[in-house]
Amino acid sequence: MAVTETPPETVAAAGSATPAATRPAPTGLAAVLGSGDHKVIGRLYIVTSLLFGLATVVLGGLFAFESVDAATLEVFSSGSVLQSFSLFRLATVFLVAIPLVIGVAMAVVPLQVGAPAVAFPRAAAASYWAWLVGSLLFIASYLMDGGPGGTSGSGVNLWIASFGMVLVAILLASLCLATTVFALRTSGLSLARTPLFSWSVAVAAVLWLFTLPVLVATLVVSYVDHRHAGGVLGGNAALAPRVGWALRNPQVYVVAIPLLGFFADVLATTAKARLALPGAARAAIGGAGVVSFGAVLATNDASAVETPLVIAMGLAAVLPALLIAGLIGDLFRRGSFRLTTGAVYAVSSLLLVLVATGAGALGSIPALETAGTIYDIGVAHATLVAAVIAALGGVHWWATKIGRQGANESLGKLVPLVLLIGGLLVSAPHLVSGIAGEGIETSPDWTGGIEGLNYVVVAGSVVLLLGLLLAAASFLPLFKASDQSPRDPWEGQTLEWLSPSPPPIGNFDADLPTVTSAEPLVDLREEN
Amino acid sequence: MASAALVLPPAAPPARPRVLLVGTALASAATFMAFAWMIGLYVSERSAVVSAGGTWLPDGSNIPLTPGNMAFATMLISGVSIWWAVESVGRNDRQMAYLALALSILLGAAVINATSFLYSQIDLPVASTPGALIYTITGAHIAMLGFAMVYAAVMVFRTLGGEYSGRDREGLVAAALFWYVTIAVHAVIWYAIYIVK
Repeated sequence: MAVTETPPETVAAAGSATPAATRPAPTGLAAVLGSGDHKVIGRLYIVTSLLFGLATVVLGGLFAFESVDAATLEVFSSGSVLQSFSLFRLATVFLVAIPLVIGVAMAVVPLQVGAPAVAFPRAAAASYWAWLVGSLLFIASYLMDGGPGGTSGSGVNLWIASFGMVLVAILLASLCLATTVFALRTSGLSLARTPLFSWSVAVAAVLWLFTLPVLVATLVVSYVDHRHAGGVLGGNAALAPRVGWALRNPQVYVVAIPLLGFFADVLATTAKARLALPGAARAAIGGAGVVSFGAVLATNDASAVETPLVIAMGLAAVLPALLIAGLIGDLFRRGSFRLTTGAVYAVSSLLLVLVATGAGALGSIPALETAGTIYDIGVAHATLVAAVIAALGGVHWWATKIGRQGANESLGKLVPLVLLIGGLLVSAPHLVSGIAGEGIETSPDWTGGIEGLNYVVVAGSVVLLLGLLLAAASFLPLFKASDQSPRDPWEGQTLEWLSPSPPPIGNFDADLPTVTSAEPLVDLREEN
Repeated sequence: MASAALVLPPAAPPARPRVLLVGTALASAATFMAFAWMIGLYVSERSAVVSAGGTWLPDGSNIPLTPGNMAFATMLISGVSIWWAVESVGRNDRQMAYLALALSILLGAAVINATSFLYSQIDLPVASTPGALIYTITGAHIAMLGFAMVYAAVMVFRTLGGEYSGRDREGLVAAALFWYVTIAVHAVIWYAIYIVK
């Protein structure tokens, strides 16, 4: 059977106009291991990436501690410090931020577009399991003394192969998500009416599909070079520089694109108003995709960051976030204000996105000479923490669709604020060190950073860890069964709130109405 | 609560989504990006060596034109046969469709055979910059072609099972699309590696 075929539990729903929710859902281990249900796959992505996130924040905190006095403190041995640092940098992107965003998108996007299932459900399930196995092998490769700077040939080969596996899994998930938005929308839901979160996920997924294959190709070449060609193309020493473009702006901004849609959807619902100029919001999100095309830096030429194209991309990256912020401001001017937890998450994340893209724009100015310094890490950290805040906000906002009941509200309001403070503390010192630092203080690794400011990064790591633990605690109710979970706890505007909570296999228990605007539930309320 | 919306009349049945075609188009674009970077790296490395006054291929190595040209010509012919299959299903002519799909897969195997023969002729060590890049790029293309052949074979079986007909030939069009991208990648490899060397 091809991976493109629809699995049994969703085939009836996908192929028929009649909703099929009568078939009992599988239970126990079968419900997890054998499921092609997008909610289950999304949950798996979310839980696993959160676990990786906790470990990654601890690792980052240890590096921040070491950087306070890199000459005397030896948290990591000199033989393994480069490898551990590469694990930290790569894990933040490919084991935490991207899969967390994918997890929320996987659970929510099919519901938002009125689809009974995600496109290619088996491929979606395969993407999670391949990502999990790849991630574990990726970590294991470091234990074998592999990775950039590793001395074990087999370990380095395993590192390249497992990293490639992680990327292919992410590509597979992106393919499923983009196809769901492009081909499985319900009747009347044109692309111009697609909820902004789904639209932004589609843009990000397409960007990943266009850029991450370049990274896969890099790994294929590196594998042949390292294993068979004796390192004629640089061997082990070239690994870290070759993948570096995927960890800095503009490529790292791709993970922030779904955030823009999340802000717009959540805050429009919170303000109980329709978003003005939805076309402009859609264009802004699409524009964010254009300026995030980081594969232009996949070159051996280090001066590529100073080309007019890359400078222009860096400067322009702040504009979509500013436009979305402006449209959101207009929402609250016209609408009513409610202090929902989703809004606190969205505003916290939006502030950090503005910091990240604003700093990225500033850093694009060649005269500041921040390219290739610790400044880039500051921009990346701000972007990634913003992505994590928004993704956790997504889990909270759509808790009744992702889990069995809503998350803890009072704890939920605290989490984004703690994470925002933590995000600022781990990124701002690097930004300052990149501009004001001298000599080794600008170094883009564990030796960089102004000494006094590195204490702030240590504190920020602790705050981030606390924030993640609080988030995990606030999500505990999602695991408890409840008969009283409301369909629409927020008076939502988009189709996912028509599905029961939690949604059954097939997602909807009745025929969906023909969509006639970008806010179908607002239309329905007005008609009734 | 928005459950009041459930009293509205049901929507008209949506048009059949072209999920497989959209997914294949996206996957094809992703694959093309990977090859674009690898071939770009090849051209860039070659240009650096040549502009420094060096020779690109090591002494004793040569890329003969005949096997590369034959492989590319075969690939082009397979483009005709795969479209023949799509057209045949469109006319509900299943016999011709099976024949055309089988021929396409056979031609794909011939391309792999020709490339393997080329490997035996070029006497190029993998432990050299051109060797590492040429084997990686052409090897990756063989893998892509292998996937295209499997994809086409799956569509043959689906057509045999009656899934595709004149009214709906989405799966075959999707397989053909991926096949054409494979040909396009081969065309770039043929010019950049086999002709320019």
